[in-house]
Amino acid sequence: MADRRVAITGLGVVTPAGVGIGPLWEALLAGGQSVGEISLFDASKFPCRIGGELTDFSARGYVPKDYRKAVKVMARDIEIAVAAADLAFRDSSFVTRASGALEMTVEPGRLGCNIGAGLICSDLDELGSAVNTSLTDGKFDMGAWGRSGMTNLTPLWLLKYLPNMLACHVTIIHGAEGPSNTITGGDASGHLTVGEAARLIERGGADAVIAGGAESKLNAMGLLRQSLLGRLRSDGAIRPGEACRPFDAGHAGTVIGEGGGLLILEDLRGAEARGARIYAEVVGFGGACDPGGIDVKAPTTGSLDLAVGKALDDAGIEPKDVGAIIAHGTAVAAEDNLEAAAWSKALGQTAQTAPAAAITGAMGSLFAGAGGVELAVAVMALHTQTVPPTVNFARPADGCHLNLSSRPRGAEIEYAVSAAFGIGGQSGACILRRYRK
Amino acid sequence: MSRRRVVITGMGTVNPLGHDVESTWRAMLASASGIAKTTLFDASSFPTTFSAEVKGYGLAGQVPDAHRHRHAGRHCRFALGAAVQAWRESGLEGFQGLDRSRLGVYLGSGEGSLDFDNFTSLLVDAWRDGRLDMAAWAELAFARMDLHREVEQESNMVVAHLAAEFGVRGPAFNVLTACAASTQAIGEAAMQVRRGDVDAIITGGAHSMIHPYGVTGFNRLTALSVRNDEVGTASRPFDMTRDGFVLGEGASILILEDYDLARRRGAKILAEVLGYGASADAFRITDQDPQGAGATASMRSALADAGCSPADIDYISAHGTGTKQNDSVETKAVKAVFGKRAGEVPLSSAKSGLGHLIAAAGATELITCVLAIRDGILPPTINYRTPDPECDLDYVPNTPRKAKVKVCMSNSFGFGGQNNTLIVSACR
Repeated sequence: MADRRVAITGLGVVTPAGVGIGPLWEALLAGGQSVGEISLFDASKFPCRIGGELTDFSARGYVPKDYRKAVKVMARDIEIAVAAADLAFRDSSFVTRASGALEMTVEPGRLGCNIGAGLICSDLDELGSAVNTSLTDGKFDMGAWGRSGMTNLTPLWLLKYLPNMLACHVTIIHGAEGPSNTITGGDASGHLTVGEAARLIERGGADAVIAGGAESKLNAMGLLRQSLLGRLRSDGAIRPGEACRPFDAGHAGTVIGEGGGLLILEDLRGAEARGARIYAEVVGFGGACDPGGIDVKAPTTGSLDLAVGKALDDAGIEPKDVGAIIAHGTAVAAEDNLEAAAWSKALGQTAQTAPAAAITGAMGSLFAGAGGVELAVAVMALHTQTVPPTVNFARPADGCHLNLSSRPRGAEIEYAVSAAFGIGGQSGACILRRYRK
Repeated sequence: MSRRRVVITGMGTVNPLGHDVESTWRAMLASASGIAKTTLFDASSFPTTFSAEVKGYGLAGQVPDAHRHRHAGRHCRFALGAAVQAWRESGLEGFQGLDRSRLGVYLGSGEGSLDFDNFTSLLVDAWRDGRLDMAAWAELAFARMDLHREVEQESNMVVAHLAAEFGVRGPAFNVLTACAASTQAIGEAAMQVRRGDVDAIITGGAHSMIHPYGVTGFNRLTALSVRNDEVGTASRPFDMTRDGFVLGEGASILILEDYDLARRRGAKILAEVLGYGASADAFRITDQDPQGAGATASMRSALADAGCSPADIDYISAHGTGTKQNDSVETKAVKAVFGKRAGEVPLSSAKSGLGHLIAAAGATELITCVLAIRDGILPPTINYRTPDPECDLDYVPNTPRKAKVKVCMSNSFGFGGQNNTLIVSACR
């Protein structure tokens, strides 16, 4: 049996720059900046006090009425995924259990799920309230904690913070009873989940899969960890909106954003048969890693050049066929330089000629949430034949020869490539093709 | 077109019953229990005071250069030991013909343990007037917290350590689907080999949740056994008197590779991965579907993938956690899949002696399936005394049993409803 083809029919994004693919795309084309002073908690004593926040965000409006109570046991990462899933299914005109309909667009057992997640931080106020009931002479007392302190935590406390709960809530809300995976691969998570989802459809293990990722590191522990890694822009000498500058000569560290993106992937024939709007096809995937990723202080792209090369081979295309590049662009100077070199290694001259873009300037780094959003943007680039601007890109950094622009550009794009990498040294790349009937 | 066959050529494990495959197997066949009073922290006042700890294990001597992994967390150290064992057994260590960009790693590893003392003392020392003073917290945190302790908690860091140890440049994944993670990792790793994305792949899982907040979390869920006076027999899968699972820790790693490559290089083939199935309950985050529909679908899809019928299965390594719900639901699901034959297919739970290794459970249990095939012997469900009318299958109670074993099924069901099943066989 020939491999089945994989269509993308729905996009759900929750980002600081826009919630929903329409608002996000509009904001990106307009070059809007969404990074600002952190308001979710008091960051005044952190070296970096800016971030890309979701303002007034709650998943409550994205779940069926009878599921609203469950929002209380969702960490912010889970809420983002739940909202993105609702947006993605709606965008694809996909009928799921959430609508209360008796019949879903595909059988429940043929609907899969694969959502990338990060290390979810427990709410320090919630845990602190419980911990501070268990003190002896001003110090934490394990005996008191075991006897009674822990009962101050809600019985479901643990379930708020398990990374697979992003997928679990989504499968429950939408009635997805097919294979369900949760990839925790740092910033590469989104590309790895979409690649895996496409494989699952190809081999006939599911007819449709919701895939991508979501994360929020905009909390004290997330900010602390990224600060300790030395990856954040901490000079405070620039307006917050202009701080995150991927591949720009002024790149001097990243900014933490929060958000996620989920895509609906479907068997192409099934999507055509139901008259779905088909944005694009997934035609290639590759994953790779850098054995040097163990040294978390040393910059790495996770052998991104290998991942892109594998994806090209998988798609059966040459570098010259690539019409647009959606890069990862963390804006950490050493990472940008390595990433630009990796694109050149994988694509040769095309790395400098194909129009490229990075979205971090508009919203900061979304970690496990990044890949899904980057792929949604790549899909829109193909669908509208337009490469969005790279916010805060003005003058290329030394050695960064990607063809970026501060303005949107129309282009003839048959294939778009997007890739990402993360701390620990894993990378993933996906090739998308323009859809023609 | 025939698909590529996937074989197992190396296995390693570090768990509460042993620090390698053979000693673990001997302990299981001696019906031993790895469960005792918790020593990793003072759990004496907790609802559950015991667990299945890995005892007396250190990285020195396990890997050629332990210094390189000095920042590795507890579960990562287990994984490194297990991985080196598996790698050496596979013979890939001395094999020059493996392109490292076609060597992958696909783990089901848990998160690393929190820096408990520092993390908790910060919550106390920065607490002012009933709330956390974030300014005070930040100042203290930057003074006390360590970069590596923090970053190593990300669950993909075990992948990074194994990639460094073996020079992996191919696809690298970590799945974290709670108690099903390493079964899912092995299944997906097999798919990578089958499709030709890699020639060989390092897979399995690692986890340790035996720390104060881990036990707190499970105690609050009332998922753990509280049989504090009968510690050694507390894990009672399928027994009428079961009252929860026993938290364990450890790591198990397997090397999967393309059958043709294994043959070509003359590797010893331990078993073949025939099939993989996955499903979601899509029911509730706290409970399994009481009808076991998700578990049933997972087993059926693995059978279909393997091209097997229920009649081909000689033994089932059960998820068998020892919670009221899991064991009755799993029994129901096995009956749904196997029909009249259900009573004739022996199934047992390694968790009765090993405890529940959470993300590392499935990989450890799959290793026992491979050994059951090799030695023609079924590991028992220990601590089985009182039959439960809802659990009325053949659980291989208390003592190992000789049997002709060609094909085994191994189940793992994760908290939140992610279900996975593997089928392995002797290599034909």
